[in-house]
Amino acid sequence: MNITEARKMERERELQRKGSRERSRKSVPAGEQIGRIVRYALLALISLAMAFPFYWMVTSGLKTNDEIWRFPPTFWPESVNWSNYADAWNSAPFARYMFNSIFVAVSICALQVINASMMAYALTHMKFRLKGAFTAIILIGYMIPSTAVYLPSYMILNELHLLDTYAGLILSNCVSVFSIFLLRQAFLQVSHELVEAGQLDGASHFRILWTIMAPLIRSSFAVMILITFIDQYNNYFWPMLITKDPDLRLVSAGLRSFFVEGGAYGLAWPQIMAASAFTIAPLLILFAFAQKTIMQSVNMSAGVNKS
Amino acid sequence: MRLKTLREGEAVLFTLPALVPLLIFWLGPLGYIVYLSFTEWDFMSPEKLFVGLDNYTYLLTHADFYQALKVTLTFGLGTVVPIIVGGLALALLMNSKLRSTGLFRAMMFSPWVTPTVAVSIAWSWIFEPDVGLANLALGWLGLSPVGWLQDPNWALAAVMIVTIWKSIGWSMVFYLVALRNLPADLLEAASIDGAGGWDKFRGITLPLISPTTLFLSIILTIQSLQAYDQINVMTQGGPAGSTRTLLYMYYQSAFETFNVGEASAIAVIIILICVLLSGLSFLLSRRLVHYS
Repeated sequence: MNITEARKMERERELQRKGSRERSRKSVPAGEQIGRIVRYALLALISLAMAFPFYWMVTSGLKTNDEIWRFPPTFWPESVNWSNYADAWNSAPFARYMFNSIFVAVSICALQVINASMMAYALTHMKFRLKGAFTAIILIGYMIPSTAVYLPSYMILNELHLLDTYAGLILSNCVSVFSIFLLRQAFLQVSHELVEAGQLDGASHFRILWTIMAPLIRSSFAVMILITFIDQYNNYFWPMLITKDPDLRLVSAGLRSFFVEGGAYGLAWPQIMAASAFTIAPLLILFAFAQKTIMQSVNMSAGVNKS
Repeated sequence: MRLKTLREGEAVLFTLPALVPLLIFWLGPLGYIVYLSFTEWDFMSPEKLFVGLDNYTYLLTHADFYQALKVTLTFGLGTVVPIIVGGLALALLMNSKLRSTGLFRAMMFSPWVTPTVAVSIAWSWIFEPDVGLANLALGWLGLSPVGWLQDPNWALAAVMIVTIWKSIGWSMVFYLVALRNLPADLLEAASIDGAGGWDKFRGITLPLISPTTLFLSIILTIQSLQAYDQINVMTQGGPAGSTRTLLYMYYQSAFETFNVGEASAIAVIIILICVLLSGLSFLLSRRLVHYS
């Protein structure tokens, strides 16, 4: 079969498929129609239930202390007290916490873009004897929970005098096995001929990586950066362990200390809910804008496993 | 020959920016913690005392450890299974010829994006025993209220609910991708052969999406072994140790009671569990999973 014939068949098949789709749209039996409505209703109900904790957080933050303790609870605040949000924001250095989180997360993203792409490039398009061993090291890293080694990592960080510093927060998180895998997967899709062509033109590997290869896997970079940013902004356990200085707290640790220390434990719930709400807000906004890319991470991380 | 070494040198140079931190903060600590688990130390004394297997025998002869192990297993099974089954159910519900489900998908996925600490605080309020929503909902169902986070019988369930809520939409998206990649002609052929919905699901869909199921089980199990934030915010391991997982016990003995040796031994056990599970799933994938 020659190519034009194959194309023709492909087109016919496409037409058939379209036809059957249209047919099914026109003649939907009544039973199926009802089933569809039921499914929609069910999905709407579940979605609302899933998002409800967010709604509850925001509206509880608007209630007076009096109203929040009423039972049964009111589902919409009787009087809307935006002042709770201002109170919460001012009673702890939340601006500082948020700056810390964003600054640390952005720095980590930048470092990971560099070291993960260099590592991934070397593993896919360069030749060296230890390649197999390196790949194995990264595989092991993927299997072992990082939380389990927090104790010795803490001791090492102490030896390096990096406890309670921005450098410690950033450097100790500056490699991600996930990021390396993600980019490795992307580089495997790029033909090695491009590298060879670049070399014939006298370009160094460094140049080939950044001017030829990197632009080709832009979408993988986007996914990697977004996922790393979200992970690091939300990070709590490790940053909390390695910083005692309140000025270096990331937003989750700051929020938690506001929850516990601020005389708040169970006393100032509207302020606590308000603080939780504005901690979450940047991420929900980011999600609203970059939904597609973030959910794409699922496609790509499923690919990570197959390698 | 020299040119070849030079080239190899360049490749190794490329790996260094990732490899050095990886060795310092990852593989180094991994070896270090195995060594620490054979010692006794409290962060203060000048010398680490070598005690052989004492830390392990101590753990294995104390009820605290088995309690934590039990909590870890309950938490693991009680979150991984519902997240997988629920995620698949939601994906099936959404996949079947429904249009414009984008908003629903986003709403279900959104918990995964948000910081665990902040949402756990919100959930603590929902689980408030006197005026919380959770007990209100129980009341609607005609059930009597429970103490949730303050009740040793219910605290773990509450932490599990939050964990499931956070990841179920994430697993749903995985299954949506897997379902979309199913070969339509195969399913159509089965319908023509008279296969019903359930037959098609068991005979075709389930085997074909098994790589996704396997992947999710591994990732979610490793995640469940690492769960810390929600436990720290909601219960701190209590009441009466009812939510103290192995990881939480590790954290407490390392950073609250400064028992470095014992903590390290617990960490090594957690790591061994991970390695064992990963090996097991690898074997399983060879036998059961259908890779197309």
